[in-house]
Amino acid sequence: MNEEQFIRRDRMRFTKNTLSSTLAILAIVFDVFYFINIYKSDVGHNVGNFYYQIRIGASIIYNLVFMLAAFLSSEGVKNYKKEYCYILLVIGVIQIVRIFILPAQAAAAEITIGGTVYKVMERAQHIRVVLYLLVSAACCLAGGVIGIKRCNELSAHLASLQESKA
Amino acid sequence: MAQLSLQHIDKIYDNNVQAVFDFNLDVKDGEFIVLVGPSGCGKSTTLRMIAGLEDISNGKLILDGKDITSTPAKDRDMAMVFQNYALYGHMTIYENMAFSLTLRKENPNVIHKKVLAAAEILGLTEQLNKKPSQLSGGQRQRVAMGRSIVRNPKLFLFDEPLSNLDAKLRGATRREILLLHKRLGATMLYVTHDQTEALTLADRIVCMSMGHVQQVGTPLELYDSPANLFVASFIGLPPMNFFDVKVEKGFLVNSQLHTALSPEEKDLLKAYEGKQITLGVRPENIVEGGDVSIKVFSNENLGMNTLVHGHLGDSKSASDKITAKLRGWCNYKEGDIASVSFNRKHFFDKDTTNAIRKEGQP
Repeated sequence: MNEEQFIRRDRMRFTKNTLSSTLAILAIVFDVFYFINIYKSDVGHNVGNFYYQIRIGASIIYNLVFMLAAFLSSEGVKNYKKEYCYILLVIGVIQIVRIFILPAQAAAAEITIGGTVYKVMERAQHIRVVLYLLVSAACCLAGGVIGIKRCNELSAHLASLQESKA
Repeated sequence: MAQLSLQHIDKIYDNNVQAVFDFNLDVKDGEFIVLVGPSGCGKSTTLRMIAGLEDISNGKLILDGKDITSTPAKDRDMAMVFQNYALYGHMTIYENMAFSLTLRKENPNVIHKKVLAAAEILGLTEQLNKKPSQLSGGQRQRVAMGRSIVRNPKLFLFDEPLSNLDAKLRGATRREILLLHKRLGATMLYVTHDQTEALTLADRIVCMSMGHVQQVGTPLELYDSPANLFVASFIGLPPMNFFDVKVEKGFLVNSQLHTALSPEEKDLLKAYEGKQITLGVRPENIVEGGDVSIKVFSNENLGMNTLVHGHLGDSKSASDKITAKLRGWCNYKEGDIASVSFNRKHFFDKDTTNAIRKEGQP
């Protein structure tokens, strides 16, 4: 390890992991974009039969849980706490899984109003919500991976400092 | 390090109040200058003018041969340490110390090296991850100094940095500043109203009153040869005793005092024969045994010394009050008479208040 690398690692003793933390916050932002888009149907207010079921309750509750977990993780990873990096990875994977639940179902669903068949979610909206979820997931995963890498680097560095002290 | 020259500096505020009058000073490279004086004497204003935080009304400010009178504060390459520390409460000590360099967009690795070096000098290495609220006043002041050190400025400016600390911490931090000056060899200007700080820290002291420079000199010069009554009364603790006396045939005389002059003193006061002058005697220049009697009204034992407060002779007038710092443990009671003599006297012209000195003496 050259001097440059050593100083970069040593800096971690006194600086926060703001990159991972910012990525976690960005994940929340894109999740918000997602949920303010998902319940807006292309066929106006006549989609009650599709959306206004138990799934919307579960979806809203999960959004709240996601935001709380992501926020707490952003604080945890900022202070190089590895367990919060794992939480970020888990919620990142769940964000990807979510693409195949509500957005996929809404994109595939059709509704008949006055004898005419409408799609609940047009292609453009579907792409948009999928993108939001993907970016949110990417932020979580990147934040988690970077966090774990930095946590490992820092603990190795602290151990080497301890060793050299002894 | 830097050389600073203040040439005929005036400060006149918008309401025509003049705070500083014709201030002249040449600060040498690596010198520790202390501006001392009572509140409102213009010492902080002078420092703020040097820092660029106040405009200079008249005169010139020269730093390393370059006129910086109108240069903005940010371009002067000076670091100022304030009385209230001015630390960011939400940042760690490391972040506080690194802040100015971060603003300058310096390389983070370089910043890291500088912060660690400054923390090492100031003994703050273990505190770098703490917030200012978790530190003592002395430690916070050290952080403020550290923030200056990392910038490696040409000039360090301190504006009463120890005023918020308790007496014990003040002493310790004062010694740290002195060590810091020796270690860095930097040019430092320090403002205080505390004469102890001035005497212990300074290479040279600038004593100010009412916006005017009263005397510039080494601590010993100011203590031993004060230029005028103000400096004599301001420097020294307890302060110098003053008496109005008449020079009469080799004696100093007033209603309560009749003390002989030495041949040198007679020679010095030749021109004042028959005239009123002010006699100044430091409490520590009073010794037991002699032709001056003090009617004691209080006796304070300090261990090594005793402060004896009283009046000359049988006077009760405030102008005849005297404080003597006698060696050893004394046990004077109220009303006792202490016989003392003065082993060093200072003489001041009654009209000009300037010290009476031999011709040619500064």
